[in-house]
Amino acid sequence: MIFRRLRRILPAFLLAVLLLVTSCRAQDTSPYAKTQQESTQRGATPAVAKNAQQGGNFNKFFPKSADGYQVVAAQEKKGFAEYKLNKGGKNVAVLSINDITSTPTAKDKYQKSTEKIAGYPAAEAPGKGTGILVNNRYQVKVASRDDSFTKNDRVAWLQKFNLSGLAQLK
Amino acid sequence: MSKTIYQLVDELPTGGLTVMSLRALDFAVPGEWQNLVGFDNTIRAVTGETDPDLVRQIGERAIYLYNDKSQGYQTALWLYQTVDSASSALGAAALANKVGEKIPLLGFLGNITPKADKAQTIDLAVKLVVELVAFCQINGIPGDSIGDFLGALGDYSGESLMRMAALVCFDGLIPLGPDFIQMVLSRFSNMNPQELEQNQTFKGVNDLIPGGNSAGKLGFINQSFGSVSGWMSDFVNSRGLTPQNVVHNLSSFIDVADDKLDYLGAFLDVSTNYYEHTGIQTLARRLIERAVAEI
Repeated sequence: MIFRRLRRILPAFLLAVLLLVTSCRAQDTSPYAKTQQESTQRGATPAVAKNAQQGGNFNKFFPKSADGYQVVAAQEKKGFAEYKLNKGGKNVAVLSINDITSTPTAKDKYQKSTEKIAGYPAAEAPGKGTGILVNNRYQVKVASRDDSFTKNDRVAWLQKFNLSGLAQLK
Repeated sequence: MSKTIYQLVDELPTGGLTVMSLRALDFAVPGEWQNLVGFDNTIRAVTGETDPDLVRQIGERAIYLYNDKSQGYQTALWLYQTVDSASSALGAAALANKVGEKIPLLGFLGNITPKADKAQTIDLAVKLVVELVAFCQINGIPGDSIGDFLGALGDYSGESLMRMAALVCFDGLIPLGPDFIQMVLSRFSNMNPQELEQNQTFKGVNDLIPGGNSAGKLGFINQSFGSVSGWMSDFVNSRGLTPQNVVHNLSSFIDVADDKLDYLGAFLDVSTNYYEHTGIQTLARRLIERAVAEI
């Protein structure tokens, strides 16, 4: 009697264990698991806003090579453009412009800061960077990639961008 | 389910044949490649950022960018992975072909297996074009702009430069000898589209090579290789690279006679995945550079 009942229950039990085991194995325990899930679920916010400025439109506002520094194109994607700043064949900094329509929280650090560079709100940024916010939309950044490139250098190079031109970009 | 970007970077091996083979090329590109592994570790190394909260924010933005298919990063990964696994299949065929040449009894294999040199020249050229296309997927410079690619190639460093060193050494110098650039150029100048279509490496990535039909793609590969050949021969000459000194540096873990270099080439082809390994590192680096700039 008991044996018969067991025979009826056992397959269901085994199936339940199997499902449990397989679902556990697929579990992502990384601290990034939530971000992964949010960014891949149906209807997830795209990484780049539809109305973000084309990266190619930023190119003309970047500084040119000068004073022994070479400005070399590195990336150009929708809403973003980046150049490397090299000296003596070595990468010492990166220059970038991005449209914060895709990353609105980027604005927070400028709102908290009282600093200004060339008349624009300025703030220190992650990754040894200094940034300014132009027209409440375009973030211009210089980030050090070598210790010899100091904050003073970053501020100086920020001022070499054509900021007034960028401010007029619609 | 395919792996997440942080899993791919976290799971990069720190040892094994691929890593050992690449380390052996340090003499060609001294200090350029440190085998950077681990997602957070890469964020800290690329950006210099040490604050854990900021590292996390950079990582989260990088994950969003990677998972947005329109941004091209997943296509680039697919290219790096596919060109490696495709060439592994080719490695097996090349090995079979060598057996065919050595043992008369199996000589008939020569009828069904492509000549190793011919397959290898196509393999090398296709891998180079994959680098061009993946570069454009990651960095966004339009796919037909070879000029921009050349400017960027001159600025290649780190794991990207190591990948090119491995391409030159493992897919050029070792299997084809010191005249490999000329060999590729002359073979491609009188190749017909059908020969290209039959190549396994080409088949794997065919859909993403610009040029429309096979004849157009052949033209694109030919033109791309021609444009980069100057950079490549300068790379070989200025660093004094020869099949012998590459073999010498590999000899710590691979025992090979100088007259068996085509076996060594085939062996490296089937046993390493240096395109995928360094490709993931390049992808992670550029993704992180963009992420930190955008937040």
